[in-house]
Amino acid sequence: MGLDLSMNKYADVPYEEKERLFNEVKADLRFHHALYGCYECGICVAACPSARFYDFSPRVIAQATAREDVDLIYTLMNDSIWDCSQCFSCDRCPRHNSPGMLITIMREVAVNNGLQTAKEALEGYGRIIYKIMSTGTQVSPDMLQPNAFPDWGPHVKDISDNLEWWRKALPPETLHTTETGWAVDDKTIIELYLIWHMTGVMDMIEEIDDGLHMILVDVMEEKLEEEGYDVSF
Amino acid sequence: MANQKILIIGGGPGGLEVARGIAELGYEAVLVEKRDRLGGTPDEASYAALTPDLRPAEEALNEMIEPVVNHPNVEIMYNTLVHDAEGELGNFRVKALQLGKEVEIEAAAVIVCTGFTHFDPGRETQKYGYYEHDDVITLVDCEKMLKAGNFVRPSNGEKPKRVCFIQCVGSRDRQIGNEYCSKVCCGIASKQAIEIRQHVPDCKVYIFYIDMRMYGYWENEIYWPAQEKYKVNYIKGIATEILKKGDRLLVKGEDTTLRRPMEVPMDMVILSVGMEPSGGTKEMAKIFGLNQNKYGFIETTGGPLDTVSTNVPGVFAVGACTGPADLEDTVSMAGLAAMKAISAMRKLAPVSA
Repeated sequence: MGLDLSMNKYADVPYEEKERLFNEVKADLRFHHALYGCYECGICVAACPSARFYDFSPRVIAQATAREDVDLIYTLMNDSIWDCSQCFSCDRCPRHNSPGMLITIMREVAVNNGLQTAKEALEGYGRIIYKIMSTGTQVSPDMLQPNAFPDWGPHVKDISDNLEWWRKALPPETLHTTETGWAVDDKTIIELYLIWHMTGVMDMIEEIDDGLHMILVDVMEEKLEEEGYDVSF
Repeated sequence: MANQKILIIGGGPGGLEVARGIAELGYEAVLVEKRDRLGGTPDEASYAALTPDLRPAEEALNEMIEPVVNHPNVEIMYNTLVHDAEGELGNFRVKALQLGKEVEIEAAAVIVCTGFTHFDPGRETQKYGYYEHDDVITLVDCEKMLKAGNFVRPSNGEKPKRVCFIQCVGSRDRQIGNEYCSKVCCGIASKQAIEIRQHVPDCKVYIFYIDMRMYGYWENEIYWPAQEKYKVNYIKGIATEILKKGDRLLVKGEDTTLRRPMEVPMDMVILSVGMEPSGGTKEMAKIFGLNQNKYGFIETTGGPLDTVSTNVPGVFAVGACTGPADLEDTVSMAGLAAMKAISAMRKLAPVSA
């Protein structure tokens, strides 16, 4: 995605609304540990894997927030923050900024406020979110089906066609499947459900994907009831 | 017996510190000052607070002046202009006019502390319109306003909402002929930006720069607090033109790191004017036969190992008459010059210690 910084792309969104979102970002307890001042030196971009593949710059994230450029921050919250891989290589900043952490916070604000671009960015991850949140474990390679993850690109089909063959080429510790140590025990699942409920993660999901939220609530409520918990989502 | 006095020309921070050093070492100094008071440029130009510690300038200057005016080893000659000199190390005869009256001073050594003058923004080659727009001012004007505690737009007396500094005005510019960095303006602009944010908290402050040069502790003592605590906006890119738009100013430049052209409205623009040799500096160089560099500053001969000796034995130069210098440089050079002048004198007329 081309990131044009020379224009105020979201000029139609009222400044007050953009400012409200930025104030939410600033109010996050982590914000002042993630941003001091920016030299605009680019060391974060030099270290950033995403910057090599996308028109993405952790420097611009730090610059915009340090300058409190409300219009630019809003543009970034829509068009840039989802290009970050959250690896935190950018933490090597000489001013001790963490553009990655700024993005974590901006993503949470984007999700909590149901920004359309956040919904679109997360659309392809519904299945993964469902798996992680309902089973407490990740997508396993043997779940790769030809049409499972269209957002991952056309090569997924090729890989799924020859999955057995591909997997033999990989190191053994990645050979987990749904058959091998994939299931999570009940006590852990219950704790996970309670954490997601009590920390507001379920509210975030509701903001971003109503359907997914409904399915998750069904699964979780049933399990929690079985175990004697009275939780309403 | 050879003359044992040392002549100091200029009563600014450099001259004051030289005088104090010489006097406290037990030697005699004559301090010649063209104005009727001491303190030099920081006093004449009404500096509010010093860089980097924001200490009130008046208080700091008084601390420098007091031990000099009260010392029996220092003779101060106010309203005095040196106009001629002859002789050599151990025996200089210097002619001066004191309120129109001819006087002659004999000295074993001479220390020139005649300092700098602020660059006249009328000579800049951009289109900043200092003499055209009321709300375009210089660091010097700003310092005066801050000292008076009245930071307002000259055009209408209102508190500004948006203010920017433009760095390197008259410095680092081949077209103007001043290729050097004036060294102090980044720190002073940042210091003033902090003071503006303190005086007018809802005023946005921007600094347009080529590169910020705040070496050593100035970095964390001024630059970081300005940016992190006072939210001063540093933008790499220099404006080329200031236009009037309605009752505001329109500043045209480039936001280089964000790769976008910039046309931003401002209520006030502060030009970070640099240093040039003062009239007195150029005059003294001529009178004493001191080499000057192409910019007119007095050339010191020892490179980094001797920052005060000149081509004339027995004549030393201190502070901003030798090139851009901050107070730290000037005061350090003053101590060195006092020491070197005394040792040169002692070599001529050895004293048993």
